[in-house]
Order: sequence, then C-alpha cells, then structure tokens
Amino acid sequence: MKYNFSRRSVLAGSGAALMTGLAGGRLFAAEPEKPAEIIVRAWGGEWVDALKRGVSDPFTAATGITVRHDLTEDNEIQPKVWAAVDQGRVPPIHINWDTTTNATKSALRGVTEDLSDLSNLAGVTDLAKPVGLEGYPIVNTYGYVYVLAYRPEAFPDGAPKSWKDLLDPRLKGRIALYNDGIGFHFPAQVAGGGSLEDIPANMQPAWDFIAKMKEQAPLLGEDPDFTTWFQNGEIDAACTISTNALAAKRNGIDLAWTVPEEGSKFDTDGLWIPKGLPENELYWAKQYINFAITKDAQQVWLDGLGLPGVVPGLTPPEGLAGDPSYPTTEEEFKHLIRVSAKVQVENESDWFAKFKEIMQG
Amino acid sequence: MTSPSQRFVFWGLVLFSVLILSLPTIIVVGASFTAGNIIAFPPQGLSLQWYEKIALARDLRQAFGRSLIVSLVCLAVSVPVGTLAGIALTRYRLRFAGALQVYLLLPFTIPLIGSGIGMMLVFGQWGLLGSLWPVGVACAVINLPFIIWSVSSSAASLDPDLELAAATCGAGRVETFFHVTLPGVMPGMITGGLLMFVLAMTEFLVSLLLTDSRTVTLPVQIYNNVRSIITPDLAAVSSVFVLLALAAVWLLDRLVGLEIFLKSK
Amino acid sequence: MPRPDQEPFRYPLRWRVMDMAEAALDLLWPRRFAAATGWLMVLPALLLVGLLVAGMVEIADNSLRVLDRSTFRLSEDYTLANYRTVMESATYGGVILRSVWAAALTVVFTLVLAFPFAYLLVRTPRAWVRKTLLVVLFLPFFIGQVVRAYGLLIILGTKGVVNQGFGLVGIEPVRLLFNFPAVVFGEVQYMLPFAVLMLAPALTAIPQETETAAGSLGANWIRVMWHVTLPMAKPGLVGAGLVVGTLTLTDFAIPAMLGGGSQDFIANAIYDQFFRTADQGLGAALALLLVALGSVFAGVVIAVFGAGTLGMGARK
Repeated sequence: MKYNFSRRSVLAGSGAALMTGLAGGRLFAAEPEKPAEIIVRAWGGEWVDALKRGVSDPFTAATGITVRHDLTEDNEIQPKVWAAVDQGRVPPIHINWDTTTNATKSALRGVTEDLSDLSNLAGVTDLAKPVGLEGYPIVNTYGYVYVLAYRPEAFPDGAPKSWKDLLDPRLKGRIALYNDGIGFHFPAQVAGGGSLEDIPANMQPAWDFIAKMKEQAPLLGEDPDFTTWFQNGEIDAACTISTNALAAKRNGIDLAWTVPEEGSKFDTDGLWIPKGLPENELYWAKQYINFAITKDAQQVWLDGLGLPGVVPGLTPPEGLAGDPSYPTTEEEFKHLIRVSAKVQVENESDWFAKFKEIMQG
Repeated sequence: MTSPSQRFVFWGLVLFSVLILSLPTIIVVGASFTAGNIIAFPPQGLSLQWYEKIALARDLRQAFGRSLIVSLVCLAVSVPVGTLAGIALTRYRLRFAGALQVYLLLPFTIPLIGSGIGMMLVFGQWGLLGSLWPVGVACAVINLPFIIWSVSSSAASLDPDLELAAATCGAGRVETFFHVTLPGVMPGMITGGLLMFVLAMTEFLVSLLLTDSRTVTLPVQIYNNVRSIITPDLAAVSSVFVLLALAAVWLLDRLVGLEIFLKSK
Repeated sequence: MPRPDQEPFRYPLRWRVMDMAEAALDLLWPRRFAAATGWLMVLPALLLVGLLVAGMVEIADNSLRVLDRSTFRLSEDYTLANYRTVMESATYGGVILRSVWAAALTVVFTLVLAFPFAYLLVRTPRAWVRKTLLVVLFLPFFIGQVVRAYGLLIILGTKGVVNQGFGLVGIEPVRLLFNFPAVVFGEVQYMLPFAVLMLAPALTAIPQETETAAGSLGANWIRVMWHVTLPMAKPGLVGAGLVVGTLTLTDFAIPAMLGGGSQDFIANAIYDQFFRTADQGLGAALALLLVALGSVFAGVVIAVFGAGTLGMGARK
C-alpha cells in the first residue's frame, strides 16, 4: 500500500492531534495514572492491521500506553463481557470494536459506558451517533457496504448486474456468504420480489430467494474466510464487506465489486467501553476512542479498510473515490439499504435462525 | 499372519492410516520453511524467516508460556487425584461401583462444549475467571478418565499379595502405600501424567471459553490466527508443537517404554 | 564405658517420620474405617468431577429461562419455551441427525482402520516396526486438533497437495473441503489414535495360539478374524467405539474448520446460540439435549456390551 506521506510523519501528525484531543481533559484534573496497556478487541487480518496503523500505534506513540489487540470473535467476547459485568469482575477488554447491531444489544443490556463527553464528538457527522439510543453508549466510526465481490475472470460478460446472477448454475459451489447470512437478507428480500417496507413483517420473499441460493451450495464463513477463499481460488463471488475483497485485491488477486440493482446493505461499526473498568483505565480507554475519531486517525485507519469515515473532509483511498463501496454523496446512498438498528436488534436472531435453517437443511 | 491376502489387506489399511496420520504433519512442517508469503506446497524457496517471526512474536511466546503453566497445574491436580482414584477403584471393593464408573466417565459423556460452558458459568460466579489456574483445573477435570484409566491398569497388574506380604513383615499402611503400592503403579502414573500434560497443552475448546486475551493459551491463539489470514507463521508454530510432541514421545519411551500402551489389564 | 554393641540403637529419622505418619493416620483414619478407605481415596476425583455437575446444574437453570430482547437478559421465571423451540425447529432436527450420522460413520471407518493397525502393532515380531507405528500414532495425538485440522486445510484445498497431484494426471481441481465427507474424514483422522490405543490392550490379551489353532483346523484368515479375534477383542472394540462415538457426536472444531459453515454439529449450534445470537437459554437447552444424547448412547452401549476397556479398574 502506498501513502502520500511517510509513516513517520503520520505518527508525528497523529500524535499532535491526540495532544489537542487530550488537552480538554487535562484542564480539569491531573491526568489519571496510565495503565501499562489497554486491550482492544478487533477483527483479524487486514482489519486489525489497519487499526494498528491508524489508531493504536499513534496512540502508543503519543501516550506510551501499549495497545494489545484481542482477536477473539466479537460474538465470543460478548457473553464474556456481559458475564464479567454481571458478576462484578473487571471486563476482559477495555474497548470493543463491534458491529453497531451487536453493540446496541450490549447497550440495551446496560453494560456500556456513556461516551457523550468525548471532546472530538463535536466534529463528527451524523453517522457517528447510534440511532435509537440515548447519548453515546457506542460511537460509530465508519460505514460499510456488503457488496457483491467477484473475480472478473469468472464473469467474462462484465460485472454481475443483479444478485440473481449468482443463481447461474456454473457458479455452483463457487459463492460465499456470511454464515448467518448477515448482509444478504435485505438484498435477497428485493431479489425475491419483496419490498423493503415489509421488513420485518413479511420476509418470505427473502427466504424463498435464499432457498434458491442454497441450491448453489455456497460456502459460509466469516470476514477472514472470504479473503482466504478468494486468495486460494475457492470462490468466484461473495456477498461480503468490501474490505475483505479489497484485502485480497491488495494481495494481488484480480477482484472487483459492485452494488447490484437490488441494492446492498449499508451498516456501521463502532467502538464502546464495557462497564467495570478501574477509573484510570476507563479514562485512557475513552481517550483511545476520542483519538479514533480524529481526522488523522480516521484517514489512515480507513485508508486501510477502504471505508468512509465519520469526520468530514477525508481523502478517499486510492481508487475508491466514487466507488460504490465508498458512498459519500446522497446519490450514492440511494442504492444502499439501511434498516434501523432497533429493527435489526429485535429480529436479527430470528433472521439468523431462519437463514441457518435453510442452509443447514 | 501367514496368509498373503491377509497381509496385503492389513498392511494396505495400515499404510493408508499411516499416510493420513502423518501427511498433515509433514506438510505443515514443510510449509513452515517457505520463503514465500503464503502457504504453498511445495514451498517457494527455503527460509527460516517464519521461525524468526514467531520467536519475536511476544503474544505467541506468552501464549506458549501460559500453556505450560496450564499443563503444570493440570498435572499437579490430576496426578494425585487420578492416582488415588485409580488405586481405589482397583484395590478396594467399593459399593455402588457401577454408579461410580458412570459418574467418573462424565467428563467423556458430557460434550466438551457443555463442560466448557458449565465451568465458564461456575468459575465466573466464583469470580475465578481471568486467572490461569482454573483453566488447568478444567483441563484436569475433562481428561481425568485418562489418568484414572492408566493408573488402574497398572494397579490391576500389581499382585495384591505384595501388599499383604509388606503388612505381614510389619509395614504400616503409610509405608506399604509409599513403598509397595505407589512404586507398583508408577508406570501408570507416568504414562497418565504425560498424557494429561500433553492433552492440557493442546486443549482448545474449553480454553477458548475460559480464557481472555490476558490469559489466552497457545491452541486458542493459533485458532484465532487461523481465522484471520493463514500465513506460514502458523505452520512454524505448528512445527514447534510437532517438536514438542516428539520430545514427549521420546520421554515417554525412555521412562516407561511406548509398549506400555499395548499391555492388557 | 559401654561396649560398642551396647550403644543405644539410633532410630533413623526416616523411620521416625514414617512412624509419626502411621500414628497420625491411625488417629485420623483408624483401621476400623477400612471399609470406607476406598471411598476416601476416590473422594478427590468425585469432587473434581463435581465441578462438571455444578456446571450442568447452572446450564439446566439457564435452559429454563428465555431471552428478553429489550434488555438482552434472561427472564427471572422458569419456562419450557426453549425446549419447545428446539423441538419445533427444523434446523436442530437436521443438525442432530447429521451429528448422529457422522458419529456412526466415524465409528465404523475408524474401527475398520484401527483394528488392523492395532493388530499389526501387537502381533508384529519386529521391534522397529512396532516403535515406528507407535510414533506415527502418538505424534498426531500429541499435536492437537486445531493444528491437525489446519494441516488438512492445506492438503485438501483447491490448490492443495491432493489437487496438485490430480493436476499431474490431468484431473480438474475438485472441491474436497467444506462438505460432509470432508468432516467425516477429519473426524476419522482425529479419532484414529484414540481408537488404536483403546483396542491394542484388548488384542494383547488374545493369545496368538487361539488363532493358530483355528487356522490349523482349517479356517481361513477371514473366518479366524470373524469367529475368533473379533469376538475376543470385543471389550476393546466397545471401548474404542464408545470413545470415538461420544467424542465425534460432541465435536466442535472439525465441523467448524472443515465444514465450510454448512456442516454444523450440535456443538456448533450450541456455540451459535451462546455466542452469535446471545441466547444463552436456548443454547443451554441444546447443550442439555446433547448431554442427554451422549449419555443415552454411552448407557445403551454399556448396557448391551459392557463397558469394555473403559471400565476403570474393573478386574476381569
């Protein structure tokens, strides 16, 4: 990957930004004692590499606090954090990098710290605010699109125009979806002839379409699987977050992606802090998140992920300006499907169960 | 085996088994020496770069150290407990022995995911999660039948007259136990102990549930890495495991002889 | 001046310690308690396994509560709703059937491979052959499940060794991974050492002379195996089958790593409920169901065939 600036200057610049970010806190009281390390749960592969470059390393450079990345799955850490808070133990992580839907569950359960007092929240876009929750139990940090990623080699006639193109018999066994179907439920609803207004009341069209897709014997996996599968030539197309396709592409695999005519799901990820941390560790964990929403941190972090951030004025990563996976204008958002966090939180497990039922049948 | 056809069939099946048992190991070890960035076979060029990388990787080293501690805790718990139980089950006439057998087989009949979740809930309530020793205890629990089993097969082959003879010569109960019974079951203790050590070292699912990033053990760390991009450093870690396994097998062979596993009760 | 032989006898320290230990034991555990000595010695093991029982009680409690999706907590009051969900769901029926079917296949294939392995191991006159076979057996056993599944991923991938071999003889790459046969193969590979180790002692116990005698009476080797060796090896076969069956039925890692997401076993479904959808109650109900399934399987096998080599300490 090429950046327009040297790594050193990024570190220096971010450090300076962090210092301004921290200045507000210093006015009130002496800085609380620094912990030896803070633990941030993250997704592996390209995801954690980008976070490390953009946020963790500069944070360490500026504060001297080591950042440890915990690569436990977000789903696995959730019950562990919940149990720790319930049982009055110190939670196993300081910061959870989580999907907004999962984070909302934690917020509803009441295990998240309120982050409304972060000074840098003054400069963020609406995307940062979790919808339907009071204050900031989570800070959303970027948006992402579940694109249709494909190997151009396997599509000689050009990019697939519709999700229905995946039903082509020659793609049998060559498609991948998330193992709970996340990202695929809503486009499937449209592709199956249904309407988005019917979510969640009537999703039969989605299930019918997914049942057809089952005949194609798709591989089912999680984020890193997609990159690996593309790299090892196991699949030709996938419904996945653009980041995973981008990672394979940056590793030299010929890949492209598109938002088909039915649309693609758009969602956000965020950062949050579990309750039960010692006072000083809570303070520094907050500073980490405060730093993650500075322009400098976002620029490098999201260059790595290839995703649009929550502060205005970011330079799109090379080759992604105008890309459907990097929506910035209202026009681009029109093709994307957004469903409220509330509806998702209340129904997601049913959708997962239904998807599993079809795929495991 | 005198019949050629029997020899053919048996050796054919055995060679197939040998192949499927060793091939993954050989491939993994081979792949670890690649000079390339992805796992490929045959490896692209030879290099030790991935070994250098894992030697420098603090998280892997720490995870290895933790796995060692877990295994030692498991040993410290399971050897005395399993030895006493193994001796008792063989040398003493116990009432309800049948029920006892079924109860002691629970670690095998309760699926690991059940045991793991159960202990996660219990240890959590007792506020013990987050330290390393409960993981060792958990490993001792789930593999306990192995050591009871190997001690009791040693104890079964020990002539009960020896203990009587010791008593006749005036030895007390403690003396008989330490000088007659215990040496008699020593081979079983060593085999069982080594088995427990290695099983704790490689235990995955229960550790996954009981550890967090401050206490993550090596197999869990490997699993987490396998789930992100598979790079050859994992092959190098696996090769270290192979080396460790070789050492354990060698040690076992020197201490009691591998043939002990063929002994019938 | 006392003569040397009149010098008072110096009681060695070790004896004194031993005497003290004996006295302490007589005080704490008089000989009249002898009938209970065995129980005292198994007590620590009982307590240790008690941890599992405590966990099961905890799981049972969770299984009777349902998840409230406005607070993401389990309900205070008890209900059987989770069990109803499991019974009514088509998914779990399929997953349970798949696990049972895979366990059955794995037991059969593993025993078919393990029997000749154990037989040669026991019967071979050459020490180096025996040692080699033992090392081949122990190495994977000691390496652990995750690393071994990882090795299989490399070998069986579309660009893996096997497919490269196919390529040499002009066969197109085949999808070998991420399907049911791949999972069963992974299980067989994983279970083989367990099975051989349970079988070998049972085969050792069969005197070679019985086979020779049957052979000299005119039976061919298949008949000798069928009528003499296999029946006499029954305890070993039962023990091995029991261990392989329960371990496969309840396995998590192999279906997760080799199944490509569509070959879940019950353990994977439990994991999903506990972790992916955060429904601990439903996950707990499934877990209890799996415990019941495993116990029934073990119970039936033990009732019909006896505990085989699994009978801990039972003298035969």
